[in-house]
Amino acid sequence: MANVFIYPATSLILSDLVARFGHKPLGSALSVREHIQTAGFDSPPLQITPEDAKKGLKYAAVEVPSGVRGRMSLYGPLIEAAEGAIIVNDADYAFGCMGCARTNELIMFLVRQRGIPVLDLNYPANEKEGEEFVAAIKSFLDTLGETA
Amino acid sequence: MKEYQPKYVGTVTKYVFIESPEMTPTDFAIKAYEVSDGVMIKETCFGLQITGMPDEVDRVLERIRSFDPEHVFVKDRGFPPGDERRCRANLGGARPGYFGHEYEVNYVIRSISHGLSALKAREPGTEADPPSPVKKTYLDTTSLKKIIERMEP
Amino acid sequence: MSRVRIAQLSCGPEYSGVQKEINDAAAAVDAEIFFPDIRLADVRRNFTSFGLNVRSPDLKLAIARAKGLVEGQLEADAVFIATCFRCAEAAIVRNELRRYIHENSTLPVVSYSFTERTTSGTLLTRMEALTTIARRRALLARERQEGLTMGVDSGSSTTKAIVMQDNRIIGTGWLPTTEVIGSAEAVMATALKEAGVNREDIQAVGTTGYGRFLVGEKIRADLIQEELTVNSKGAVFLADCQKGPATVIDIGGMDNKAISVQDGIPGTFTMGGICAGASGRFLEMTSKRLGVDITELGPLALKGMSRNVPMNSYCIVFGTQSLVNALAAGNSREDVAAAACHSVAEQVFEQQLQEVDIKEPVIMVGGSSLIGGLVKAMGDLLQTQIVVPQYSQYIGAVGAALLASGYKKFQSGG
Repeated sequence: MANVFIYPATSLILSDLVARFGHKPLGSALSVREHIQTAGFDSPPLQITPEDAKKGLKYAAVEVPSGVRGRMSLYGPLIEAAEGAIIVNDADYAFGCMGCARTNELIMFLVRQRGIPVLDLNYPANEKEGEEFVAAIKSFLDTLGETA
Repeated sequence: MKEYQPKYVGTVTKYVFIESPEMTPTDFAIKAYEVSDGVMIKETCFGLQITGMPDEVDRVLERIRSFDPEHVFVKDRGFPPGDERRCRANLGGARPGYFGHEYEVNYVIRSISHGLSALKAREPGTEADPPSPVKKTYLDTTSLKKIIERMEP
Repeated sequence: MSRVRIAQLSCGPEYSGVQKEINDAAAAVDAEIFFPDIRLADVRRNFTSFGLNVRSPDLKLAIARAKGLVEGQLEADAVFIATCFRCAEAAIVRNELRRYIHENSTLPVVSYSFTERTTSGTLLTRMEALTTIARRRALLARERQEGLTMGVDSGSSTTKAIVMQDNRIIGTGWLPTTEVIGSAEAVMATALKEAGVNREDIQAVGTTGYGRFLVGEKIRADLIQEELTVNSKGAVFLADCQKGPATVIDIGGMDNKAISVQDGIPGTFTMGGICAGASGRFLEMTSKRLGVDITELGPLALKGMSRNVPMNSYCIVFGTQSLVNALAAGNSREDVAAAACHSVAEQVFEQQLQEVDIKEPVIMVGGSSLIGGLVKAMGDLLQTQIVVPQYSQYIGAVGAALLASGYKKFQSGG
């Protein structure tokens, strides 16, 4: 079973397909859950505190907006743990954790910097594309399973 | 600063989205309760939320998926169900992440269900050929010249 | 008083650890923050029709929600726009949405760019102003002072008191702020003496400024109000432009305010946010270094040429360094004074005035408006004749006295 970073990290479809084909999807919910289940200072809604924006300094300099650094404190550890990644490139309507375009650009860059296998896709627009989309993910994950 | 004491530590919560033409979320919920085995199940407008210890949740999910594998979709959730920090009633509107789900469920998921059904019938070894996410190619100058010449009287 | 519902349009606060600070600031003024409900189909349609094609999804959502609020698909009493400091994409959206809402609806709107260090305390005055405008439109519509009232402005540098009777100022008091209550007591005594009236004769009292709560509680004020709305009222009252647009600029001791006013009610505003090099404090330092009283700095500056001295820093330390260097290099005191005034005006212009729509008349108020060189420098930058009304240094106290006269009446449903 390989750790597979998904982009958009909030994607239901990617999360489902990765788990369905026997691997572990690494998405926003895992990091958010860790924050929600850790005691500390009260900082609703996500329990992300100003300290997390500082933790994000590992991935982006202090001149980078706090929202980017705070988001990177969620994604940085996931990217580091990833053994493969699936990226949907036309995810224009993923909000919240994926709501900042600058963070998203940095995420994609850091994933590619890792040198792990990456499957690049677009959302399918019809049933035929759906078939190929699912088949491509299955085949990518099978290959990943062999090497992981 | 106020201290924060988390609840449900060690549990996981999963969203179960149901896009089944055969069964309504309520039908699913009734069947899910039957196999719940002590795991917390909450019915929602799009399907279910399941909370419990990771192994228990996985076990229940396996059963629920088997009801209609191509039309049940599962995803992790960071918050426990009904958490007031994410509740629509408290926020005034949907949490931002909801729109992302709305997009995938309304516009994409049927193609995925179809893709999953078709996967079984797929010839082994057939290479997947999804549309390339690489941006479009541009018209080369020779072709452009031909077009211009055609349009000239 | 009903709870004011503030629609939040934002990108980033939840991820910067400051959402709770925003909620707390709103709760402190009996308001609640909410995220306007909208369907995905409306997000796509509203965003597309607005025409600002940004990449960040949360900014798209903010645009769609703003459009929904203006077009009446969504309801709110006020709007708070918050995005990350240093994000260019968000700054464009923040500015355009603020302008769009201001020009196309009656919703009061305030915008803020936060960092992870933003606290509820920083946001409190803005939230208070926002809720006041939403809650007390009737009170803010007052244009005439009636009866015998007093206003006290407990500012960070100076404390001012004004006694008014039947729309006229009859007593003034002014002192540097030392001990908050003591300074307030002293200026009130002076103003009452000048007016020739007793404290018991005063029918209503209003307080404003940093010390408004402390002083207001102590003297049992009828109205305790933040300075953004109070100064707006005071400014348009003194400048006699209560109808139509106006812009109020107050370069204060600790922070600056720029308020875009329509019919005496603030529409958009900014406050604070820059370093001491862009405040009245820097001009105080300058006058000390030049060996003149602060009252003489303005006339001195008017005789000088600012362009002869390079000075352009929003940091008071670097600003002072430029000042010392310029004097050491043999520049005239007049030129240095003019350069200091120009430097402050330029910082305020570059850092703050970009966030409000400058509409004429531009009214400068507060103690710094008495420094002629500063007013001229600001006028040059804005290419307009700045209005400095009489009693401009008492602006907060005048606004408080004016609003206090309507407050009792307002409370009884008038």
